[in-house]
Amino acid sequence: MKKLIALFSLLLLTTFAQADNINWPEIEEKAQGQTVYFYAWGGSQDINNYLRWANKRLQAEQGVTLKHVKVTDISEAITRLVAEKSADKNSNGSIDMVWINGENFKSMKDFNLLTTPFVENLPNWKYVDKSLPVDSDFAEPTMGLEAPWGVGQLVFIYDKNKVNNPPQSHSEMLEYARSHPNKITYPRPPSFHGTSFLKSALIELSENPDVLYSPVDDKTFQRISAPLWSYLDAFHQVAWRQGKQFPENSAETLQLLDDGELDLAISFNPNEVFSAQANGLLRDSTTAYALAAGALSNIHFLSIPWNSAAKEGALVAINFLLSPEAQLKKADISVWGDPTVLQSAYISSSMQKTTLFKSISEPHPSWQNALETEWQKRYGH
Amino acid sequence: MNGSIQKISFQLLLILAIFVCFTPLLPGLLGLFFSAFSYIPALEMQTFSLTGFSELLLWPGLHKSILITLFVSLSSTFLSALLAFSILQSCWNKAYWHKLESLLAPILALPHVAFAIGFAFLFTPSGFIARILNTLFNDLGIANWSLINDPYGLGLILGLTIKEIPFLLFMSIPLLKQLNVNSTLISAQSLGYSKAQTWQKIILPQWLPKIRFTLFAVMAYSLSVVDVALVIGPTSPATFPVLIWQWLNDPDLATLPKASAGALLLLLICLVLLYLVRFIEWLTIVKCRSWQTSGRRALPLAGKSTLLVTYVISLTPLPLLLLWSFAQRWPFPKLFPTHWSLRFWQQEWTFLWGIIGNSIFIALISATVALLFAIVIHEHSIRAIAARNRFVVPRLIISIPMLAPQLSILFGIQVATLFIAHQYYYLWVIWAHIFFVFPYVYLVLDGPWRSYEKRLDMVALSLGMSPFKVWWKIKRPILLPTLCIAWAVGISVSLAQYLPTLMLAGGRISTLTTEAVALSSGQDRRISAIYALLQSLVPFFFYFIAIFASQKTGIITNQNTVNKRSVAHHVPDSKKSDYY
Repeated sequence: MKKLIALFSLLLLTTFAQADNINWPEIEEKAQGQTVYFYAWGGSQDINNYLRWANKRLQAEQGVTLKHVKVTDISEAITRLVAEKSADKNSNGSIDMVWINGENFKSMKDFNLLTTPFVENLPNWKYVDKSLPVDSDFAEPTMGLEAPWGVGQLVFIYDKNKVNNPPQSHSEMLEYARSHPNKITYPRPPSFHGTSFLKSALIELSENPDVLYSPVDDKTFQRISAPLWSYLDAFHQVAWRQGKQFPENSAETLQLLDDGELDLAISFNPNEVFSAQANGLLRDSTTAYALAAGALSNIHFLSIPWNSAAKEGALVAINFLLSPEAQLKKADISVWGDPTVLQSAYISSSMQKTTLFKSISEPHPSWQNALETEWQKRYGH
Repeated sequence: MNGSIQKISFQLLLILAIFVCFTPLLPGLLGLFFSAFSYIPALEMQTFSLTGFSELLLWPGLHKSILITLFVSLSSTFLSALLAFSILQSCWNKAYWHKLESLLAPILALPHVAFAIGFAFLFTPSGFIARILNTLFNDLGIANWSLINDPYGLGLILGLTIKEIPFLLFMSIPLLKQLNVNSTLISAQSLGYSKAQTWQKIILPQWLPKIRFTLFAVMAYSLSVVDVALVIGPTSPATFPVLIWQWLNDPDLATLPKASAGALLLLLICLVLLYLVRFIEWLTIVKCRSWQTSGRRALPLAGKSTLLVTYVISLTPLPLLLLWSFAQRWPFPKLFPTHWSLRFWQQEWTFLWGIIGNSIFIALISATVALLFAIVIHEHSIRAIAARNRFVVPRLIISIPMLAPQLSILFGIQVATLFIAHQYYYLWVIWAHIFFVFPYVYLVLDGPWRSYEKRLDMVALSLGMSPFKVWWKIKRPILLPTLCIAWAVGISVSLAQYLPTLMLAGGRISTLTTEAVALSSGQDRRISAIYALLQSLVPFFFYFIAIFASQKTGIITNQNTVNKRSVAHHVPDSKKSDYY
């Protein structure tokens, strides 16, 4: 029976894939003159400027207008999609493209807020580096519902003039904090970076990290996560503000690093340190590094809602953002510095300097919620 | 004939006002109730249940969060009322008062978030005050404690108090102009009361009922504020509205019932606190009034120093923001940026004009319409109360848009617009702005409208003027200062709307605020500074006009003219204070 269902769903998927397998010139033609409303986080001026550039290029080359709708959190877009779903608005929706990953992708996938699989129809798909985990998003299969856009790696930033030997593991971080009290912390979960810090620490501290890649089980959760909590109990005593307060996000840790309140800042972009130096946010003596075991890594994606009014335009825009030209520009540290998802053969030599760190993949998404809830219970009040 | 046309058009206008200002409540509240009771068909939740509430109650730290929120809300409301009154007592009718009035404009215009950012930059351990101390005393290092985000919410209380004092002063100007403070002072002092005693025993009992609705707004704001609390509020746990906001934004859509249940609880708490504030007022003014008549004690209130502190703390963020907008690099503990740059202004310049134009267009329309509707509903209420048998719009319903967390109401409204025709983005955005602006405009008019001397109307009517003519020739000129101020408040409230613009415009309309809020999530002080400045500049312009106009209009004796005092002394006191 199970096999039958699997076979049936496979058939269904292939028919979907075929149904969408229309020829690209036709899509480009339909896309002419369309305006694509792209909902994406608007907190970084570097990224906003990059999207302004992409819009100019798209208008010139394809006649597609890319309108960046700046949101503070992509969940604002998802709320709107839920409202549109509630009103049975299954076409002519107001959102054509979203920038998502992780839990937000899972939510949108679970509630059928995404269009049919499209990724393999994109002409530029052939350039994508398939050795990156581009087909799974925080261990959730993407099934072609979203196209990879860039790579995130959990790195730490420090000032070479102040710190000689930055901690190479979470255990060393505790030792460092003991000898330098009040100088290390992490963003407050459930912020993206805060929860990532917890996951990274648990992967290192746990005796058998493999269990973290299957769904969390209530019965074993306490036992498996115990090393993390005893670690944090000790860590908070010597952490910044005794672990009673936490920075809200990565940007605040950068500010605190620059102010001299912290010795380590945290970021998901290995090149952020360069752009931060270029625009004066950090000293030139700062540098980024990953822990010795590797950096927790994930990919961020672009997708199209099920009711988009400009699907063709969105496809053309996503295809453009995957082009070597756009990816090269994006990876330029004076522009944004977001690592490319393309194979190295397609990117020029100047770019190859920005190598990625050894990567550790994200645990199953169910751990996210479980860790956040438990953290809240223990330290959040 | 003419009269009946006027009557009919007034009735039509009234119906339109009620329709525009209150129909959005229906989908808004329904949406809130449905999702609080876990009925969200789009998320495959198709049965009503109490899961949301039980999840809410089980949330660790809930009671602590609610207690802190109550503490912050009550203390900041009480403090701002007390301090605002002490400033009025010390400075009203001083020679410099009119200059102070004009100086209120920049403070009022400064949006709450921008104020919070500036406030934080003063008080963080690496802030401007710490930098000054570091320059004076070498190598103090950085404190491991901060008033900003402090766990008891002290920084939040201080910030909110200081931000609300100017608002209360501003709202008191038209009230005190109606109260005939000068003649009261003269009469009381001739009976041997000191100035402080007169203010506290005679003027306070008249001021408090008139400022009541404003205090409600201040309290409701402090109870439901999210953006300011995010910047300077406590974090372990965060205040209750911040928690709700975080749940509403949770990527896991299953937290929606918990968030909505929280929003409903917050609305309930708000109602309880409103009645508490009203009860305290009743207690001090009506029930336990012996302090007003017996004894000669008057509390020493340090109005002038409060005023100074308020102005210094409220105005220093402005130059700091200006510095930040030109700073390329400004490390601790430098007092001034080490590298300067025009880059941030240059990048934004070309995009700014369209955005500013949009913002002003929406603000002007929504504030003007809201003002018109507020006048109509006030006029109706006054007549309905006088006639004792007609429907009066309950205050509580009027204030719901001010009290309830916007996100939770907007979801239902959004669904409703989608059912009708969501592509009329400007229509929906302006309508939503009117909906959220209206209560504030109504509130500004509330005190002056209720204390308007009705005998003036009666005299005019008895002389044969039509009701509309009476209104236009007599009431309107007298209340013009209030109308100007209400209009400016309306404009500034509209300019500050983030969620209604974002959610109903579907990304088609951007305003200064949608840009500023989106950018502030990146915490780049330099970019935030540009938009915070612009966000203050536009309302500043309108506040300035309003304050200027309110000083030149109204009752002649209250106008700010050169020979004001000499006129005031020669006009016979035709109207005894309402108090006696």
